[in-house]
Amino acid sequence: MKHPTRVIALAVAVIVLAFAVVLATQIGADPSADSKASALVGDRVPEFSVQTLDGDTVTHADLAGRAVIVNFWNSWCIPCHQELPALKRFYEAHAGETDFLMLGIVRDDTEDAVRDYVEAEGLEWVIGLDPGSEATLAFGTRGQPETFAVTPDGHVVAFQFGPATESILGRMLGEARR
Amino acid sequence: MSARGAAWLLLGVLVAAAIVIAASQGGEATPSERARDLAAEIQCPECDGVSVEQSLAPTSRAIRADLRRRIAAGQSDDQIRQAYAERYGEAILLRPEGSGLGVLVWGLPVVLVIAGAGALVLASRRRRHEPLLHATDADEALVENIRGDRGTRERAE
Repeated sequence: MKHPTRVIALAVAVIVLAFAVVLATQIGADPSADSKASALVGDRVPEFSVQTLDGDTVTHADLAGRAVIVNFWNSWCIPCHQELPALKRFYEAHAGETDFLMLGIVRDDTEDAVRDYVEAEGLEWVIGLDPGSEATLAFGTRGQPETFAVTPDGHVVAFQFGPATESILGRMLGEARR
Repeated sequence: MSARGAAWLLLGVLVAAAIVIAASQGGEATPSERARDLAAEIQCPECDGVSVEQSLAPTSRAIRADLRRRIAAGQSDDQIRQAYAERYGEAILLRPEGSGLGVLVWGLPVVLVIAGAGALVLASRRRRHEPLLHATDADEALVENIRGDRGTRERAE
């Protein structure tokens, strides 16, 4: 090799150039996209078990055969308050459908605060408590509100990060029934 | 191999041996040490750039408890990392990925340092073996002339 230093310099330049091209192609990507998506979409609904305010137990097995909307929320979260009117209208519109279930799982809150809130707001869908955060972690949630749509055969098909509107919830239910 | 080359080789072997010995003296970590180390490797899902170990967020507290549960249940560190990566995506792990862009970002500086060191070594060796100035044809002719003149004078004497 006549000029090894030049060859090395050329190789380094090629590597740096390739690195620059790779980074440049990443610039358009939203760095927070990962945190707004759920790795669960496309997978089976995770195993979980929550205690409802009525004292019953709801597990992943109880979702089978129904299109399910699972909403993580709590009583002190402002975006959850903003989302509540849409959830109420959506639930009222679908409550009579036999293949439909809406499950609210409480994330990081006390049972007393949740009971007071549910009574004050007149929430009628199933509310599950998750004091050990097992369901919270099983679903890979990052905060609240977060909403998942589950098919009758137990697959997560849609996810909403942050407050959902009535039309978003309708679309998610449609995907769960498809 | 020259004496200098042998000295460098010996130094390299000693450094490698020291690294291996230091790495092998870690011993078996206790469950709480494993939980703490894993918590330092997992990013708080609710925060930006903060590990579960450093975070006071409710989810981080839950993850710390979950790590202890999983370790008690006999899961290995890799199984636990894999479980969190499946739930939250690879970005939840603060350690560099073993593939894709992560390898490039973490590996490229090492490659560049090695290549730079190699280039420096080669450049210094070339400089040592090669004259700084090369004689031109005019220089050669001048030297020949001087030698010719000196030979003529010596013969005359």
